[in-house]
Amino acid sequence: MKNYDLLLLANKNLWRRKGRTVLTVLGVIIGTASIVVMLSLGIGLVESQKKQMSQWGSLNIIRVQQSWDFPGQEDGQQKRLTDEAIAEIREIEGVTAVSPAIEVGGEASFGKKMGHIMLVGLEPALMEQLEFSVSHGRLLNQDDRFNVVAGSQVINNFWDPRQRSNPWNWEEPPQGDSLELLNKRISLSLYNNKQQKRIYSLNVVGILSEKTMEHSWYVYAPISELKKMREFTNQGRQEEVYFQEYMEKDPGGRSSSSSARAKKEEQYSFALVRTNDVADTRRISRQLRDSGYNAYSIADNLEGIEEAARRFQAILGGIGAITLLVAAIGITNTMVMSIYERTREIAIMKVIGASFREIRWLFLTESSLIGLLGGFFGLGLSFALSSLLNHYGSSFVNPGGMMPGQEAIQISVIPLWLVGFALLFSIGIGLIAGIYPANRAINLDPITAMRHG
Amino acid sequence: MAILELKNIVKKYRIGNEIITALDGVDLAVEAGEFIVILGTSGCGKTTLLNIAAGLEKPTRGEVVFRGVTISKLKEKKTVMFRRKQMGFIFQSYNLLPALTAQENVALPLVFDGVKPRERVLRSVKMLKQVGLMERREHKPSQMSGGQQQRVSIARALINNPRIIFADEPTGNLDTRTTLDIMGQLQRAVKENGQTLVMVTHDQEVAEFADRIIYMVDGRIVEEKQGGTHL
Repeated sequence: MKNYDLLLLANKNLWRRKGRTVLTVLGVIIGTASIVVMLSLGIGLVESQKKQMSQWGSLNIIRVQQSWDFPGQEDGQQKRLTDEAIAEIREIEGVTAVSPAIEVGGEASFGKKMGHIMLVGLEPALMEQLEFSVSHGRLLNQDDRFNVVAGSQVINNFWDPRQRSNPWNWEEPPQGDSLELLNKRISLSLYNNKQQKRIYSLNVVGILSEKTMEHSWYVYAPISELKKMREFTNQGRQEEVYFQEYMEKDPGGRSSSSSARAKKEEQYSFALVRTNDVADTRRISRQLRDSGYNAYSIADNLEGIEEAARRFQAILGGIGAITLLVAAIGITNTMVMSIYERTREIAIMKVIGASFREIRWLFLTESSLIGLLGGFFGLGLSFALSSLLNHYGSSFVNPGGMMPGQEAIQISVIPLWLVGFALLFSIGIGLIAGIYPANRAINLDPITAMRHG
Repeated sequence: MAILELKNIVKKYRIGNEIITALDGVDLAVEAGEFIVILGTSGCGKTTLLNIAAGLEKPTRGEVVFRGVTISKLKEKKTVMFRRKQMGFIFQSYNLLPALTAQENVALPLVFDGVKPRERVLRSVKMLKQVGLMERREHKPSQMSGGQQQRVSIARALINNPRIIFADEPTGNLDTRTTLDIMGQLQRAVKENGQTLVMVTHDQEVAEFADRIIYMVDGRIVEEKQGGTHL
């Protein structure tokens, strides 16, 4: 028997009892829709969390710091962020860019305003790769020396001493316009331990966009200048003396005190690591932690959220699965009844040359068709319900309206894989529901069936 | 040469605690091209004999040899191929599929045989013409008379050009005029193609069409007679 003949015959049989078939299909429609909608809620939850997190910062960036010193720790266990370490990190598979960073903070003034800024030195050429983007002006390039890029909130670090007595009046959050800084100069005063003072004049060439919040309070400058600034501020530190002695005793370290100092200077405040995707971020972040660094990425939080969402999905999916189970029992019931009605027919088919296999597949095809139809229209219903949920439910998840340019958070998301899964699953349910009736059909004795049927 | 041989067939049924002997040592050889009628009252075991001869039932003892193959020992998978390719069946109650049209019913054995739709149409049209039902080919069984339904079932039995045709009381539900009509058609078709026909009936008049009449009583063959009065 050819497959298309089987399919045609099964389809013909199915529509002999239209009402019953429609009702059975309806059961599968409801079952499929309940599973799909329930799962789509779980997926929507993860998606919206991801979206929210990406507003805090990039999911493809890892911030690496050297491990904390704590008492009782053996020598050599601490991971120092040296040039060597940066090179090592760069070699990790999945890492696309690494920039070491140095932080220096100090008093600053801007026009008549006073304040304080945190200056972060980065490899200027890597800024774009590290997902920095400007809303005005430009990012840094290789030739910049005292040009800087300021975060969108940096303006709020400054206040006019003549207008406001208390600069940190939190009742009234500062609302400065970051554009004020563009193409202006900020003066940064740094002191070293010998109480010497140096003033740097920084030219703001760009303002970072507000897309990510993690950079908004910092001012970014080329790392080469920051190295010099730190060298200046470290002059005359007591620790330096101690460090020198320590390095001399260290058999692995170099004997000369000047090179020991140089080594100390080489250490960075932190490093930013760019990866290919979220999965890489999580893997590399874990790997860096395992090898002794303090590594942190916003993507790390995803794990917990995904775990919670999985549980949520399992519960919702379970509810949906029960509905589909009921539908599957409905299919079995329909098929068993249909076989009772058609005992004679099955017998005739056996006598005139249908094999057991063909009879079995005829009934399995009929039950799978019920599943397929249910799955198909169930998906239609799911999409309708999903868009209704997103339309009327969005006020719950997007309270107070949306910021301009912000995408609406969707409660229910039906990805393509879920569509495929739902179709295959409903056909599978139909197939499984048909096994028992099909076995009944082939076990019918044709003689008895024809005599009494 | 015998196309079908039944050798000492015994068939026992168990009904409740009772064991009933339906066939009690039947020996029969059917020659190729022969029209043979098994005649007997109802309950004499003639339908059981037909089922066993066609491989639909297995005998309790004895052998069925069809064209040199002992089909009584074959598995269902194999016997189905014999029924599909070499046997045709006609029943008292026509046994057409109610969901299919006359033409679809006629073509059904070809469907199971995997014949392509085009060829199925050609062959089923030819058969319907032969039984004179071309104008009814789109009708469902419920829209046809008993005689018409039986003609459809004859067309179905003959479409795969079988070596042997088994008929179980084919005229049992028909009036006398239709009976003669059907028998005539059946006889003609079989003789034209040199096919073998094994028919069971309790109707003495129908039996007269046969080349040979076998009389059965209580699961045994009691008498044999050469027929042919209608020829």
